[in-house]
Amino acid sequence: MASEPQPGPPAPLLVLDAVEAGYGRAAMVLRGLTIEVPPGTVVCLVGPNGAGKSTVLKVASGLLKPRSGRVLVDGQDVTGQGPQAMLASGLAHVLQGHSVFREMTVGENVLLGAYTLRDKARIAERAEFVRELFPIVGERWKQLAGLLSGGQQKQVEFARSLMVDPKVVLLDEPSMGLDPKTTATVFEQVVRMRDAGTAVLLVEQNARRALETADLGCVLDLGRVHISGPAPELLADPQLSELYLGGRPAEPSRPRES
Amino acid sequence: MSGSLLFQSLVLGVLLGGLYALLAAGLTLYFGVMRVVMIAHSAFLILAAYLAWYFNDQTGWDPLLSLFVTVPLFFAAGVGMQRLLIARLRPATLTMMSVLLTFAVALLIEGMIGLIWSGTQRRIQLPYSGSNVEFFGASIAVVKLVAFVLAGASLGLLYLLLTKSRFGRALRATIQHKEAAQLVGIKTDRVAGLGFGLGLATAAVGGTALALDATIYPSLHWHWVGPLMAIIVVGGLGSVPGTAIAAMVLGIGQSLLQVEFGTTWAQTLFYIALFVTLMVRPQGFFGGRLAQRF
Repeated sequence: MASEPQPGPPAPLLVLDAVEAGYGRAAMVLRGLTIEVPPGTVVCLVGPNGAGKSTVLKVASGLLKPRSGRVLVDGQDVTGQGPQAMLASGLAHVLQGHSVFREMTVGENVLLGAYTLRDKARIAERAEFVRELFPIVGERWKQLAGLLSGGQQKQVEFARSLMVDPKVVLLDEPSMGLDPKTTATVFEQVVRMRDAGTAVLLVEQNARRALETADLGCVLDLGRVHISGPAPELLADPQLSELYLGGRPAEPSRPRES
Repeated sequence: MSGSLLFQSLVLGVLLGGLYALLAAGLTLYFGVMRVVMIAHSAFLILAAYLAWYFNDQTGWDPLLSLFVTVPLFFAAGVGMQRLLIARLRPATLTMMSVLLTFAVALLIEGMIGLIWSGTQRRIQLPYSGSNVEFFGASIAVVKLVAFVLAGASLGLLYLLLTKSRFGRALRATIQHKEAAQLVGIKTDRVAGLGFGLGLATAAVGGTALALDATIYPSLHWHWVGPLMAIIVVGGLGSVPGTAIAAMVLGIGQSLLQVEFGTTWAQTLFYIALFVTLMVRPQGFFGGRLAQRF
């Protein structure tokens, strides 16, 4: 699929095409899943526990090799490559829970995000960019990352992932374990990342809140995409609300513990 | 115990602690990076001591020069051992299986030393073997001082490498969060191999330092396994400064107890410290906050 300068949907940055994947000899987790992430969008995966949401991200970032199917970045087939190659192709992955290097400073953490870059000027430029996008990162630059609050650590992880200027950033449950106010901040940051030019593939337990942030939504069940479409439409669907979003759409959103 | 004897023991304890600290740093690296308990570390230590002795015996040159051979050799052996043996262990049972695997390696090395150089006790005779220097009334063997300087300098170099270099950052990142390290593009397998090589290189340096001042025999390494394991547990597994502090404290303690109770009983200090640590503070006395920091 070549990108053409004509109206219509732009070519997706990331495509997972009929992907099947699983762990060890256990049963398949993803069973022929297809997802597209167009440029400039936040795509959100929702679904029950065990639907395979995190596995999608692991396949995309190269932590898990798919058994079949293809992974395309910007039209290029990158199926089966390891994390380093995936990062070079433009996919950055922010793990579930806390994944800062706890005993290093915020600055060291962020600069490690640029581990694969060699150009010093470029690194400095990116560091400046992420400090502007996430002011807390600049403020806490010299502090140990492990001592920051959960929400601040998340922002350090976001900043670290953006150092390589990825095409798509993969976020696994960024609101996990955060209080409602911090969750709101984190979702604001997700929108800011998108507005700064990075597409986002987001996995969330906190489905309603995530769909309110996202542009597109995919409901996963049993390793396949059950329904997908513009996020507002999914939110408005009463049946979907009942099944996957925990209640009627009229109910005010509240964060849930995963 | 008289004041001067106390001071003498204290100084000797510091010198011994320096050697312990270097060797324990190697063990800390293995455990920190790979969760490997390396029983064969002290066997490699004794092997390096034998190589230093053999080098001196054959060439007549100072055994310190053997470092130019043993350090690269041990580094390469460490990388090879990690890639060919350790990396094949299943991650889920890695720590336990590494005990068995490295135990076997230790026996292998001990047997090999016995086979090549026999069980005879060996000792290096150097022109400066008998010399002492006066240090505020304490009489210190020159060889002990040389060993300490060697250990201290190597530990300093290791520290600089870990804190200042790109490789050091990658290694620390791998210790602190392996998956996140992979996701920023660090080849953690490669880092683990190099980390293992680095650990074994400390055994090469330590062995040479040991050879300057000790009578060596093939089974000597069993005397080192216990104390070194105790040191890294007391120091908090995975913490280089923690183990350095623990090594100093226990080294000095051992040296002081030796005066009153003799060598055998002084050794029990390590086991007592080990038990107390496991009962009172299983994460190690310098674990927690200091752990994983360099």
